[in-house]
This record gives sequence, C-alpha cells and structure tokens, in this order.
Amino acid sequence: MSYDDVEIEDMEWNEELQAYTYPCPCGDLFQITKDELRLGEEIARCPSCSLYITVIYNAEDFADGSDKNKSLQPSGNQAVAVA
Amino acid sequence: MEVNEDVPEAHQEGDEEEEQQQQVWSWGAGTDGQLGTGRLQDELLPQPLSLPAVSLLSCGGAHVVALSSGGRVLTWGRGSSGQLGHGEVVNHCLKPKPVTFPVSFPITHVSAGWSHSGFVSDTGRLFTCGDGSFGQLGHGDFSSHCCPVEVLYFASKNVGQVACGMRHSLVLLKGEIHSQVYGFGSCKRGQIGSHDVRMKSVNIPQVIDGFKNIDIVSISANGDHSAALSADGSLYYWGRGFPGSPDYHSPAQLDSSLVIKQVALGWNHSLILTDAGEVSMLGGRHHGILSDPEKIGKNSFPAVADRREPALERVPGLDGVKAVDISAGAEHSALVTEDGLTKTWGWGEHGQLGLGDTRDQILPQNVFLDQGQSNGGARCRVYCGSGFTYAIRTRNLFP
Repeated sequence: MSYDDVEIEDMEWNEELQAYTYPCPCGDLFQITKDELRLGEEIARCPSCSLYITVIYNAEDFADGSDKNKSLQPSGNQAVAVA
Repeated sequence: MEVNEDVPEAHQEGDEEEEQQQQVWSWGAGTDGQLGTGRLQDELLPQPLSLPAVSLLSCGGAHVVALSSGGRVLTWGRGSSGQLGHGEVVNHCLKPKPVTFPVSFPITHVSAGWSHSGFVSDTGRLFTCGDGSFGQLGHGDFSSHCCPVEVLYFASKNVGQVACGMRHSLVLLKGEIHSQVYGFGSCKRGQIGSHDVRMKSVNIPQVIDGFKNIDIVSISANGDHSAALSADGSLYYWGRGFPGSPDYHSPAQLDSSLVIKQVALGWNHSLILTDAGEVSMLGGRHHGILSDPEKIGKNSFPAVADRREPALERVPGLDGVKAVDISAGAEHSALVTEDGLTKTWGWGEHGQLGLGDTRDQILPQNVFLDQGQSNGGARCRVYCGSGFTYAIRTRNLFP
C-alpha cells in the first residue's frame, strides 16, 4: 500500500537527481523522473527502503516531452547562499 | 560564555564532567552520518558514542543538532541544504562539529527539521539555516543558508523556543500572553495556522491566533504537524490531520481531561505523556505495520470524513509502568520508563527501534543499552529523528 498520496506541485525538482522528490520517513527521498511521468508512472520510490508514494498529477502536463509543467516547478532548486 | 569560538573543549567540557557523567547511544538509519558513529551505515543495535556533555538534542530528517551544557552548538549528519550551519554545503558530516554564530551569546534552544535548523540565544534572538525553499527560515525570501542567519523579524522580540518541521517552523516568545506563537514556511496543510488559501508558503513570521490569555509553555513541529502545550496541561494541535481527521488551519484544543506534560509529533501520529506517566497516541494508523502492506490494508481506518477529533488511544503493553519521557520519529516511537528503561515501537526497517533487526513492532519493546549499570540516580532521555534514535543517560556524580 502506498505510504501517501502527494500532488506533483508538492514535490521538489532536484537537479542533481534529475527527479521530482518528496521526503521519505526513512530520511531519504521518494523520487520520480520526468520520463517516468511522461510514461504515465504514478509511483515514486525511495531508493533506501520499501516505501513508495502515489504521485497525483495531470498526465497532459508531461505528455510529448513538452515543458508545460514549468509552471509547476516548485522553488526547491535554489542555490544555497554562503553568507 | 563563548559560543562563536572553538574554545578549548577539554577545559570547558571537563568542568561539566566533574558534576555529570553522560552516556550516549544512537541507532537506526545512518547513511548520512546522522548516527555520529563515523560510519555511513545503518545500525540495528545501540552504538555507544563519545560526545561532549549535551543538555538538549534535536534530531531532524537526517541531521542532529546538539546543545552543549555550556550553550555551544554541535551538528552532524546530512548537510546538503546547509542545515548543519558549518558555512559550507556538505553531503554529510560524520562527526559532531561546532556551529559558529555571528554573536557570542550562549544558545539556549535548538531544533532540527527535515532539512533546516533553528537556534535561540539566551538574549531571545532567533537564527536559522538550511533549506529555505518554502520560507521556513523566516527571512522574507526563499533562499537557503549554510550559516545561521538571524531572523530579523524577532530582533526586538524575546524568543524562547523554536520548532522545525518538514517545511515549516514555529516560534514561541517569552513573556507574551497574546501574540506568543508564530509560524512560517509551508502553510498548505494549515501547519502555520490560518492563511490565504491561495498561498502555499509564507516566508515572514505570522502570528498564530488562538492562544489569547493561554500560557503556552512548549511548541512542537514534525512532518506537517504543529502542536503547543499550555501550562495547565492542555494540548493544542493544528496542521495536517492525523489519519481519520481533517487538516486543522487553526489550533484545536484536544478534548480530554488529561493533564498533558509532553507531546511528541511524528509524521502521522503523536504521542502524549500525562502528568500521571501514562502514554497515549493520536493517529498511528500505520504505526508498527508500515512495512507489511497486508496488515496496513486490514487495519485501515474506516473512511471518516465526518469524524472531527483524531482517535486518542492508550499505548498498550506498558502494564501500568509509568513513562518519564517520550519521543517520536517519522514512523516510530520511543519512551523512557520511570525505571530508566528505553522502549521503542513502530516502523523498524532501518533498525530505528534498536532491537537488532529490521522488524516493525506494534507494542513497546525494551532496548538493551548496556549491562551491569543500575539506573539509580540517572536521568534518561530519548530523541528520535525521522528514521533514527538517540538515547542519553545522565548521572549526577555529586547530587
């Protein structure tokens, strides 16, 4: 059973992982790539444990490799200020 | 006392050790160095550690913030968002390392969230660092910081406590009875109280209404949950609903005659410790059955869109043994009995229960810390991070 249902807008784009992520209770991150979303995948898995979440998104936003989902990208990809 | 300098540790901590002897253990998820063992691996059994005397520990998603008895701060574990406050972004820090502050006041309160940290000085000033993507640092923007930066909103106020959740933060002021609790960061689930429903996050501290003339003595945040305790033992909770109850966009008082002296929030459950030493749980639908999909299906709560209060249930299996401390990880729980025994239960896939295996437990189980030492005169505390656990036993040598 899915640990949680999470809307894509609540996930963060992680440049390093090239995946949308969401915190996993084990401390790692649930992950799903744009390619997986384009294929209609709705399960985001954690690489460190057995848990997974169901991602809620509009398939059309990711269809045909179009970047219509840009407006959905959360602010999670900012540089860390060294100050 | 200096907090911004790496003062000679042996001398300072040595003075404290003359009065106290402290033992520290850690176990559970460790692949970000959060166990302080110097290794990047999970530990299924408690590992003894050597730390300077600690007066408060706060465990986050995969990092730890420790407050020394002298008001200095040490951090370790994952630092990929700057949450360690060491002035640089590091994937992980294997050993406790001091945090430098722009002021030289002792630090009196700390909190570790999922990927950010908060620190309160004895002069009532608040500092935050780490991931700021949701405004959870409170600086009026969405920047992240790898050094503690003062939250200027509180510059003329007297901050007493900070509590960091997954993507939000709470602040409790001292000596205020009206506008005493503030929140900032992600607000989608109501975790910083009522707000414009179109807003997903708030990067400037907002007063959380609902505490007028109530003497709030402590605040808690974990996951998307928030809670506060009043001096008379009432629990107020808001944010994401516990399984079976809706989200609360303003503080709700738990309808109970219990006098509550401590609350511990998980991601889907909450523990409550009463003044009589009894432990109860709110939510807890997944608790202890998380890695067994079949059981989760069978135990699923009925659809309860109409139920208003989360179910409050006594933690079974304690047989009348009183508890003196509680803590909650994302999906596991820990308590200390009045006899000084540490017990854990819940999700165990990373060894966070410290029982030598990765099984889940529905009932509290004894954790074996060491042998041959009686607990007489010792004070034990437990501290849970998302998927890991710390236990600290402090003995006064000259009571």
